[in-house]
Amino acid sequence: MEDYKYLFKVVLIGEAGVGKTCLVRRFTQGLFPPGQGATIGVDFMIKTVEINGEKIKIWDTAGQERFRSITQSYYHSANALILVYDVCSQLSFDSLPHWIHEIEKYANTKVLSYLVGNKIDQINRREIPEHIGKQFAKRYEMNFMETSAKEAENVDTLFLDIAMELTKLARQQELDTDKSPTFSAGTTTVVSNCSSCFRF
Amino acid sequence: MSLLICLYNFVQDGLVKNNMDKLTFYAMTFPEKLDRIGMYLEQKLSRDIHRHRIGFVFVAMDALDQLLMACHSHSLNLFVESFLKMVQKLLESNETELQILATQSFVKFANIEEDTPSYHRRYDFFVSKFSAMCHSGSNDEETQAKIRGAGLRGLQGVVRKTVSDDLQVNIWDPIHMDKIVPSLLYNMHDPKFMSVDLESPKDEDHPAYIAEMVFRDLVCRASYGNIKSGLKPVLIHMDNHKLWVPNDFAVKCFKIIMYSVQQQYGYLVIQMLMSHLDKHVKSDPAIKASIIEVLYESVLISAGGSIGPSVLDVFNTLLRHLRISVDSKSEDLQKRNMEKKFEEAIINTIGEFAKNLPDYQKIEIMMFILAKFPQFGSDEFGFQLKFLTASTQVATKYRTVTMTNAFPTEFLQPLLRVSMHDDPALRITVQEILHTLIDRHENSQKLRKVSMPKDIAQLDLLVEKVPRQDSLFMKKSGIQFYWHILENLNMESNRVDNFEALYCTLCLISIEMGGEDIAVELLRLALDIQNLAIESNLPMTHKCCIHALVAAYLNLVSQVMALPPLTQYVRDVVDQRQKSTPYLLPDFAYNRSNRPTSYPQSENIAENCLFSETMMQEFLTECGYDTSRLSTPLAHKPHSTMDMALSGSASDLGSINIEVESVESSPLVARKQYGEEITVESLKKMLAEDSSLKKEEESRRRMEIFETFKTAPFEEIVARSEAKSNHFHNKLNEILDKVSQPSEGSDNHRKSVDENSIPVFEMQFPQLYVY
Repeated sequence: MEDYKYLFKVVLIGEAGVGKTCLVRRFTQGLFPPGQGATIGVDFMIKTVEINGEKIKIWDTAGQERFRSITQSYYHSANALILVYDVCSQLSFDSLPHWIHEIEKYANTKVLSYLVGNKIDQINRREIPEHIGKQFAKRYEMNFMETSAKEAENVDTLFLDIAMELTKLARQQELDTDKSPTFSAGTTTVVSNCSSCFRF
Repeated sequence: MSLLICLYNFVQDGLVKNNMDKLTFYAMTFPEKLDRIGMYLEQKLSRDIHRHRIGFVFVAMDALDQLLMACHSHSLNLFVESFLKMVQKLLESNETELQILATQSFVKFANIEEDTPSYHRRYDFFVSKFSAMCHSGSNDEETQAKIRGAGLRGLQGVVRKTVSDDLQVNIWDPIHMDKIVPSLLYNMHDPKFMSVDLESPKDEDHPAYIAEMVFRDLVCRASYGNIKSGLKPVLIHMDNHKLWVPNDFAVKCFKIIMYSVQQQYGYLVIQMLMSHLDKHVKSDPAIKASIIEVLYESVLISAGGSIGPSVLDVFNTLLRHLRISVDSKSEDLQKRNMEKKFEEAIINTIGEFAKNLPDYQKIEIMMFILAKFPQFGSDEFGFQLKFLTASTQVATKYRTVTMTNAFPTEFLQPLLRVSMHDDPALRITVQEILHTLIDRHENSQKLRKVSMPKDIAQLDLLVEKVPRQDSLFMKKSGIQFYWHILENLNMESNRVDNFEALYCTLCLISIEMGGEDIAVELLRLALDIQNLAIESNLPMTHKCCIHALVAAYLNLVSQVMALPPLTQYVRDVVDQRQKSTPYLLPDFAYNRSNRPTSYPQSENIAENCLFSETMMQEFLTECGYDTSRLSTPLAHKPHSTMDMALSGSASDLGSINIEVESVESSPLVARKQYGEEITVESLKKMLAEDSSLKKEEESRRRMEIFETFKTAPFEEIVARSEAKSNHFHNKLNEILDKVSQPSEGSDNHRKSVDENSIPVFEMQFPQLYVY
């Protein structure tokens, strides 16, 4: 009795301290943990999205430099990447080209990538105006969104958007290719529904 | 079906054993139903997880485990699918308990051996999730340890399941290894755990311990093709987490690797470290030094297996780094210190590598190092010294058996060439290499100081009979040693240390290779050295040193070779010196606190304070030696291009030269300067002598010259001739001058010589007399 139709793997990346973990927590658990410590390595969350009966697996990665090698190994099979920066930190914005380079290097070519400016609730400390972010995203052909994990602004929209986009792509692929049900995660998998009644 | 429902009906407090037994029995009787059972259980389980009915989840898992264990492997294939799906579901939940439970089940599953291929089964999720669990950052330390432990065990399960089986997913794929290895290392790197020594009991559940175990397991399963993909993440991890400095953890890690890896692949690890070093060429010397240290430790462990097919490559890399480091002398003092440390570490590592090589390869390596040795140039002095130190390291690891093996011509010549270097410190190093190679009985330490013991038993030397092949070797190559020693003594830049080192070399040669055949040559060498001191323009201090050296050397040689009359003669001369010229004895000459004023002004030394050739000849004959060779100065230049190029003309000049001297019928001292002593007696003797022996030797030498030019590299020949050319021109002019004056007389004399039928071959080997 599978309760989802599609399964997507979404990975969040970005500099340390831009709020990746908070975004995920907000989306999967609906809470904003104030004293969130630095993520070590990678963290895993899962949430079923209601619209099309999809399941989103979210891998939250550590931003710290020293975990770079392990986090890199996680983008590889991702369906979507969310590149997060902090609108209050020029530094985190400046490092974006570097991250994009990483994506090009390690991720799947067909990956869906999103640029997200987080922490828009801190209006007074804002350093990166929205249009600059938008411009940047356009240049690199990414989707753009600004969010606030604290105020829950745009967080659900972001993930639902991704889910819809991915479903669309998956459907398209479904039409194109003949697929057999495969076990387990990673790429888009269609899991067969089987009846609940059993006869011996 | 009803069985299953029953099973669930009574599960409030755990699985009912009775029902479970029935189910197991049923499943075993009808294995074809197994996958249906699996599917049903899986659905139940996912529903229970969704509704947070943890109790039921446990029961379902328990049932699955038992079925898994009980049933035969061939019927499991489909059942495994649902089983893995359930494990995955459990792992996806956020409950720690469930995750741990899932891991346990998974490990149980991993231990089952399957015989059916399962190409379609994928472990991506498990690897990802277990790796993530290894990094668990839970606030509660206990849960954190639990989750991490579970993650590690899970990884081990995946590895076990897949590693040895070609029918499974290739776990060595970088996608997986990049996750597994860093997770293991991350957990292994626990400062608290580092200090625990291997013997003491360990906390078996500590993640660091589990990680280490899993890591060993992983490494020892690695085969030739995939060891690299396993090690690469290790190196990257070290880089990322800056674990090279301090390198305790890196050393520990590589020790584990070296101990666990299959012996025959040990060299691959070394190779990886080397290439990693290449990547760090521009890095901080501290990092490089640490990598080298790790390399050193690894080489120690893998003894023998550390060197793969590319021996020279290994040394080439090390030497290159040595060179880079020496070249990039940094201004910063602290950094420079680090660089020095790095250089030392490299040299030690070279030595350690060499230890693992068979002996013949050690010589090859030394030849290689010498071949890399930069040509003469003062600015590269530091580098040259380092190189030599490196080869000393190699030499100390070598155990000389026979000299012929220790000194193949291709090695001996470059080495001796380097021994003529301008820098005294460098020359000492070369002598040290010679010491370690010649010395077979650990005598060199005892001969460090130039001394004159009445009885050499005081020195406690270990002397054995000289094997025949060593005598042969000396007959062949001795001349090169002699000439270089003489030249070395003739250097004005010599310091006391140099003389001591040369003394040591001389003594070692006579102890290790001074057979009866060679004895006369060795004594002749002493006389040559004495002549050198008398004739050269060296400062007084040097001359005193040389005279003292000769005395000490003769004292030792005569005793070692058991020539009592000669010993007595040496004693007499020494006594004489004691009375009139004490400054010619070691006690004075090698006293480092001497001032220039304490040396005598005049250079004239009374005849009776010198060792006289005729006297020695007498004593030797008394001892039953053939003394004819004693009258022939040994030292001549070893074969080189110059000799060859000039041989045509020089042969005439050389022969004329002899005649010049003999016409003058000069006093003893002068006679010794130039070659053959041509008197009626000597000519008579020559006639009487069986010339075939000499002939043979001459033809052998001829072959040698031929060989030299066939084999010696062109640069070497050029370099040598360049170094010598000035010297040569002077000599040539000198000779030409002499020739032009008494040409008439010489012509006359030549006739007489011909009449006396001097064998023709004497004329053909001018280089014997050129010096």
